[in-house]
Amino acid sequence: MSCAPGEPCEEGRTRRRALAVLGLMGVIFVALSTVSFLDSRGQAVPAAVSYAGFDAVQGKRVFQAYNCMGCHTIVGNGAYFGPDLTGIYGKVGPAWLEAFLPSAGAWPTSGAVALQLRNEAIATASGVHSIDDYLAKYPAAAERIERRGGHASSMPNLPLSHAEIGQLIAFLEYTSKMNTEGWPPTPRVNGLAYSRAAPMAAAASTLVPASTPAAAAPTAAAPETAGARGAQIALETGCTACHARDTGRLVGPGWGGLYGAEVALADGSKIRADDAYLTQSIVDPDARIVAGYAPHLMPSYAGMLDDEEVAALVAYIRSLGGEHP
Amino acid sequence: MIRIEYQTQRLSLRFFLLMLVLFFFQAGFGLLLTAQHIDPTLLAGTLNFNVARAEHTNLGILWVLSGFIGAILFVGPLLSKRELAAPGLIKFLFYALLAVVAWNVATQWLAQQGNAGWWLGQPMLQEGLEYLEGGRITDVVIFVGFAILCYVLLRTFPRVSNWNEIHWGLGIGVVALTLVWVFGMFFVERLDLQEYFRWYVVHYWVEGVWEVIHISLVGFLLVLMFGASIKSVGYAVFWGIAFVWLSGLLGNAHHYFWIGTPEFWQFWGSLFSALEPLPLIFCFWHIYLDAHQDRKPIGNVPAFAFLLGSVVLEQVGAGILGFTMTFALTNVWSHGTWVTLSHAHLALFGTFGMLGLAAAYYAVPLMRGVVQQFDQRLGKLAFWLVFTGMLGLGFAFAIGGTVQVFVYRTLGLDWFGGDVAPAMQFAKLMVPAFGLVFMIGVCLLVYDLLTLGLRAKATIDGPAAAPAPTGWGRRLYGWETGLWLLAMWVFGAIITLGLLSFNLHSVQGGHRLFPYLMAGIGYPGLLLTTLLFVGRFLRSLEARCHAAAAQAVLPAGLQAASG
Repeated sequence: MSCAPGEPCEEGRTRRRALAVLGLMGVIFVALSTVSFLDSRGQAVPAAVSYAGFDAVQGKRVFQAYNCMGCHTIVGNGAYFGPDLTGIYGKVGPAWLEAFLPSAGAWPTSGAVALQLRNEAIATASGVHSIDDYLAKYPAAAERIERRGGHASSMPNLPLSHAEIGQLIAFLEYTSKMNTEGWPPTPRVNGLAYSRAAPMAAAASTLVPASTPAAAAPTAAAPETAGARGAQIALETGCTACHARDTGRLVGPGWGGLYGAEVALADGSKIRADDAYLTQSIVDPDARIVAGYAPHLMPSYAGMLDDEEVAALVAYIRSLGGEHP
Repeated sequence: MIRIEYQTQRLSLRFFLLMLVLFFFQAGFGLLLTAQHIDPTLLAGTLNFNVARAEHTNLGILWVLSGFIGAILFVGPLLSKRELAAPGLIKFLFYALLAVVAWNVATQWLAQQGNAGWWLGQPMLQEGLEYLEGGRITDVVIFVGFAILCYVLLRTFPRVSNWNEIHWGLGIGVVALTLVWVFGMFFVERLDLQEYFRWYVVHYWVEGVWEVIHISLVGFLLVLMFGASIKSVGYAVFWGIAFVWLSGLLGNAHHYFWIGTPEFWQFWGSLFSALEPLPLIFCFWHIYLDAHQDRKPIGNVPAFAFLLGSVVLEQVGAGILGFTMTFALTNVWSHGTWVTLSHAHLALFGTFGMLGLAAAYYAVPLMRGVVQQFDQRLGKLAFWLVFTGMLGLGFAFAIGGTVQVFVYRTLGLDWFGGDVAPAMQFAKLMVPAFGLVFMIGVCLLVYDLLTLGLRAKATIDGPAAAPAPTGWGRRLYGWETGLWLLAMWVFGAIITLGLLSFNLHSVQGGHRLFPYLMAGIGYPGLLLTTLLFVGRFLRSLEARCHAAAAQAVLPAGLQAASG
């Protein structure tokens, strides 16, 4: 231990040696660190990644601003409340993320993903143009649609703007391109087929072919009224992820009591929510923005839904109450 | 020491009291998080999980720092044999700390609006990085606060030529505290580089700086409590710090396995961070030696209980549980799961939280003038509730984490709401159960320390109430302590094998029995051993009062014979 008086003392020399070893370790650490971030390593960098014109560096700012790491993990670091996001882009693809992020409170349906694929930039980034090809290319998206499409998720709706969503997806594209040295390990079994692993009754047994657009909807007999048909379209297309059936605001305005009501628009004018207005809001949502909502938040359903389907949706909204004009 | 020698020591009181208040709120946020884990829609949109969690982690850091500042201010004059320099600055530091706490608690909520306050390319209001959620404004104020602490402490200390190891430890500690903080003050574009620097702050703070302050303070508290010699403690402090840095400098590499940095870190991290428990074993052993150096009755049981808890949980939470997941082959499974939570809670609260509480239990009765006679029953009860609650939390997180590894990684079910969360449901219910035990302990603790010396005096336990020095209360010898330590490590080895077994072909084929069995033996074994050991240690110490009382009536000749 410490030196008794009068004896030769080695303690000081031993301590100096320990400090020398520590210095050597510091040198090793600095050398390893320098090598780690050389360009020649070929690691993905966000400055080189963009998605549909959006910048991955901006996406990282969005990721931090919403404290995504406070619920999720990224490269395994974060909060373990939601799934790890490092490779999510590669698994579910950009169209699924485009459909999910604006209305994260509900899981996208295949209709909602198909709608996103009509956007040329998103389809190009996805590498496919039809929903069937998409679900074949991104089985994780197909699994999510089949098992939960149209149902509530555990994630709250966030006030993400159109640009923020694009930037966030660019960032997730960057992280999914990163080389994380084999983490997370690739599963060797199909978990869904594992007998004791399906705590949710809806799993494996109810899987339906991916191409069926109504996967999540109860497949009942052909509905007789236009309103009932509209309700089914609303579910399949994913309208209900953003629009509540009551007056509550999810992402967009609630439909309850909307029909015939006076709506205040962003430009300060007012308009009555009649058939013509509602039809226009579905096929050209940016034409008249409701006060308090951002433009480009809602995608256009022109070409996705035909006139008869739009009319059925309007009939459904009419059936949810409100004054008749 | 039975009374305050230097009046500026009293400045530490406000930091201890602030620590207690923040501790209460931090534990409260923790309970809220467990409820949100069970029902994810709870307060969604009002106080989202990520905001509540940011408050939980940030308050955790802030109250530990507040406890450190309190302890440093309390021992500073004793180490320097003069009053603290610049007491006005210390008062300013306190109000700055209050302001930054309030500001930071408020700005975290902006994450729900996605508002980071970008200005000059930096997130001014909050930045959404785990443990470093505070924005740049918070960062700068905290940096100034650290600088004030450095100034006060270094101005108070004697000339450098007169420093002993404790001076060096605390001096280096506060300076490094300030310098390392700077690495968290930049927005970094690349995720791998950002995580690389984030661990500078998180790992090097905890492992390289807090640990240094911890060792120095534990050493000096042992000097104060047991009259351990400065020279012997100084030896322990020097080698404790040297080992911490020798293992921890490259041991930080265990954070660089999977963040996008090269594979060679797996070699360096696995090798050196496996050595990280060595200094902790060393400290553990020293607290045994120093506590047994004099065999006088122990005066302040709660203070020593928390000090012991701090060193033991450092051994168990940081040392053993850290060791189990430090190898690339185990870390590849534990990384990003609840398994790491059991380590984080036991290590952070255990090591650093309990040290602040120990210092408060030592210092507050002195400052309130009740050191000779204060009712220790509430403090002891609170210690046991908090200690048991935290071990239980560690158990719940570890079991939940093991299930999570199997479901999420082995089976590849990555849907949290539908697959992972239901599988972990049992653990998710155990967390609030133990959390409540912990919270009751926290309430008692806060009440006791806030009102100590101010409330009506209760009757005090005389020596007669001390446990008898037989059986569980008999003298604790070194060999027995060694056996306890060995048992802890055996269970640690079982846990490590359990994590390693996820690499087995059969486990990857869907057979969960072996890892579940190992976790089912290892974690409860380790945590129960820890609980029993601390019980044994404290009882043998308390039994000294009994021995002292008995010895007082023995004839002098007999006393000599028995001594």
